[in-house]
Amino acid sequence: MDTKMLNKAKPYILLLPALILAFLFAYRPFLRTIVNSLFNLSIIGKRLSFVGLDNYKRLFSSGSFQDSLSNTLRFTLYFVPTNLIICLVAALLANRKGKLASLNQICMFLPMAVAMSSAMMLFKMMFNPSIGIMNSILLVDIQWFNDPKAAMLLLVIAGVWLDIGFDFLLLVSALRNVPASLLEVAELEGANPWQLFTTLQLPLIAPTLLFVLVTSIKDAMLISAPVLLLTQGGPFRSTQTLVYQMYLEGFKSGNYALGSAIATVVFGLTFIVMLLLLRFEKRRVYYQ
Amino acid sequence: MKKLVPVAATLLSLVVVFPILYSISASFFSFSDFTSIPARLLPANPTFQNYVRAFSESHLARFLANSLASATVGTTVRMTISIVSAYVFAFYTFKGKDILFVLLIATMLLPNDALLIENFITIRKLGLTDTYVGIISTSLLAPAHLFILRQYFKMVSKEYREAAIIEGCSDFRFLTTLLVPISQSVVITLALQSFTNIFNDYLWPLLVTNSESMRTVQVGITMLGFSENLDYGPQFAAITLLMTPILIAFILLNKKIKESVSTRFTGR
Amino acid sequence: MKKILIAICLLAATFSFPLFAQAKSELPAEPIATITWWHYGSGLAGKATEAMVNDFNNTVGKEKNIHVQAVFQGSASDVLTKTKAIFQSGSNVGLPDLVQLDGSGVLDIRDSEYLISMEKLAKQDNFDLKAILDSARLSVTYKKEMIAMPFNSSTIMLYYNKSAFDEVGLKNPPKNLDELATASSLLKKTDDKGKVVRYGFANVPTTYELIVWLGQQKAMSYLTDMENGHTGIPTKVLFQENGTMVNFLTKWKQLNATGSLENLTSDVNGAFASGKVAMMVGSTSNLTTIIQMVGDRFELGVANFPMVDEQATGGVNVGGGALYALDNGSGKSKQTWEFVKFATSAEQQLAWHIATGYFPVSEGTYSMDAFKTHLQNNPLYGVAIKQLEESNPELQGVWIPSAYQVYYAFQTGILKMLVEDKSPEETSKALEKEINSYLQDYLRMNQ
Repeated sequence: MDTKMLNKAKPYILLLPALILAFLFAYRPFLRTIVNSLFNLSIIGKRLSFVGLDNYKRLFSSGSFQDSLSNTLRFTLYFVPTNLIICLVAALLANRKGKLASLNQICMFLPMAVAMSSAMMLFKMMFNPSIGIMNSILLVDIQWFNDPKAAMLLLVIAGVWLDIGFDFLLLVSALRNVPASLLEVAELEGANPWQLFTTLQLPLIAPTLLFVLVTSIKDAMLISAPVLLLTQGGPFRSTQTLVYQMYLEGFKSGNYALGSAIATVVFGLTFIVMLLLLRFEKRRVYYQ
Repeated sequence: MKKLVPVAATLLSLVVVFPILYSISASFFSFSDFTSIPARLLPANPTFQNYVRAFSESHLARFLANSLASATVGTTVRMTISIVSAYVFAFYTFKGKDILFVLLIATMLLPNDALLIENFITIRKLGLTDTYVGIISTSLLAPAHLFILRQYFKMVSKEYREAAIIEGCSDFRFLTTLLVPISQSVVITLALQSFTNIFNDYLWPLLVTNSESMRTVQVGITMLGFSENLDYGPQFAAITLLMTPILIAFILLNKKIKESVSTRFTGR
Repeated sequence: MKKILIAICLLAATFSFPLFAQAKSELPAEPIATITWWHYGSGLAGKATEAMVNDFNNTVGKEKNIHVQAVFQGSASDVLTKTKAIFQSGSNVGLPDLVQLDGSGVLDIRDSEYLISMEKLAKQDNFDLKAILDSARLSVTYKKEMIAMPFNSSTIMLYYNKSAFDEVGLKNPPKNLDELATASSLLKKTDDKGKVVRYGFANVPTTYELIVWLGQQKAMSYLTDMENGHTGIPTKVLFQENGTMVNFLTKWKQLNATGSLENLTSDVNGAFASGKVAMMVGSTSNLTTIIQMVGDRFELGVANFPMVDEQATGGVNVGGGALYALDNGSGKSKQTWEFVKFATSAEQQLAWHIATGYFPVSEGTYSMDAFKTHLQNNPLYGVAIKQLEESNPELQGVWIPSAYQVYYAFQTGILKMLVEDKSPEETSKALEKEINSYLQDYLRMNQ
């Protein structure tokens, strides 16, 4: 064997596993999804006939899909700012020194230790309208799983709780990296906490904030498992999201053609968001 | 104003941990505690029965073993692939390097959630349903890890590696005895992240496992089948049992965790 | 450092305890034929299922070298998803020998080459199908063949809060939707601030209720052509052209106009058991659970499912689930049949009925003294059985594709009518259009 040849081939050989995985579980399924969305597919996923954009036409005219699209966008709209503000407030409040502060911080990131499916089972039981703890502790009588608005609110609460641990950690460590001397000087000059935040802390944690923002947009647009576990898209389809509908079409109805068309729409949406993320990532590298 | 901060922080943190505390408390409830109106915060007569039932009426232990096994194997393979690929991109020059790099990183744009249907068909055709390989297959490639590791490795100078190679050090030895130890903190952080990702995955293992003996704990815990009859006790017990070791580890390691997050996001 | 050590020890502990526990839960050494059964029995039904399987394994199974392994696969819809995923792969690898499915999955597997007709298995054993209750048998009959064995059979009925009825001076449960509306508005209670503390009735009709509310009209009607899909793939819905939907929706709107109807879609049992709703409709199989949940909070009553109007005399259909034998290449259909025969024997169906509230599918059970005594002591259970006896056995559940979407189509469409004050005609037409599109999708896929 020619060692020179071997040396030349080495990087390719070493990259082979990653390339195979990328082909098998990313590009091939991606292309197949797009192509399949242009076909009429049998129940076992065989291509029956080319139908052009027919699947999309049917998709966009169906009430179920319109619901999914609007629910996904509404969820993103409610969830992203709520999550950002709550995590930021939590980080600002907990960014202190001392035993109590440390305890506060532990409490804030503990939700990270609870897996998503466990957390959703917990929420499902706690928010049960008749015997759950939440209604009786808040002294309200909210039909969490029957009132479309309440169900959406519940999904937002659940989403924030699932994300708060990690986002809080990111933000609190970003805040800690803001030099204390800088803050002290500003304080001596008579700046109030709001001024400190807007003129000093905010610009310095902006990259982290942007990271949290964009990842939470992406997560929000892809939300499916919490829907499956908590509300199953109900009531009245008010929490049926895009990826959840894709799951329904593909795995409950065996309608791969429609499922592929939904997946393609999801690709389009996430593509836009991820491009934004990559741009921010690039800027951040310069920033630091 | 300043005095209000600790109060507000404490209130907020109590709200945040409430579900965890309630789960622990409710795991000791009896059936009548759950149906009492208004709902109770603490058990009337604490009982261990729920824990006994969570174990005796389900295969919780088996589910946990499956999850630990797939997360351990998955993390090992995923980290190996990421490290080796990042190493190649950081130190080798070869034709098509940039294209291949972009090709791998661009998979970030193709979220697994949207590939669910096709990936499932692939796994089924390969006959990998109901196997550990099936469970971990779609999480083995981690473009974000590859990206971060390459950035990190690039900080090590090329000359350093060349010197080592000339001294007769193989790629493998350079990687395992020099490069990875230098990058220890980032490698550990990414590995932990991988582990929790794979361990906590829900929808994919739900789809690719059929037999009870292959079910992962995240899927299993939603399928204990108690809660449908408002028999919440064993469900709370199972959830509490699952999260307790992780909670304790988190509390003990809280400083380390905070540090690792700040290294990760400043160390690039 | 110490802390890290403790943490590592803890993690190590988590790693090791499943190994210990696993050793205990290891399955027993395999006897000659192991039958895998995927089921969805949880809670009370789960325990009863386990008891039945143990009973079989220790008696008939031991004798004939058959071991049944019951695998709980989540809800009925989860079991279907799993089974369907294998069917869709076009191979039979990984299929269980026996699977419990409800009506929503029949369409997807009934034409499959991997389905073993239960009638065929019964005939091989010279088993007389007359031993199975007529209406139950017909509920799983496709093209005149009994393709599965009815197992967890139930019907829909009315649950009511007898104490609340007494409180407002109501003597009898409502028989039809007009009476239901009257009763419901009497039962509604508000506090001094005008907040409703008790609704008269809670429901949002979906497929489950509509099979009956539409089906019982005009002596007996179907929702779709092909006799609710029992003779072929349905191509269109019938409820618009035969007027049954409009008729029902008109009554439903009147009921809603009383302001005493709560549009509950989930946790109806909880709302009822806690006294926040005075009447609901639900499966007879919930009876045992609801008795437990209500406790001594109030006196529980059950009655026939209310008719749409006096002309709707068709009664109720048999719902619930059935056992399907599948061919996974292991050639154990005879052994599977042995278990099915056991599970639907008169004695086992009695035990099953007492434990769960599902009615016995074996004719033999009904003449057993133990069964009669049980009904005497628990009169609530008798209501459902009497209701079924009075029903037209031809009225059957609907076998429809995209069952999940159809369910939500009904739910959403009917709510829309109430909230946006649409006319019943408009609503019926919109539902026809939407559901027909699901049927068309399915036909396209099966070209």
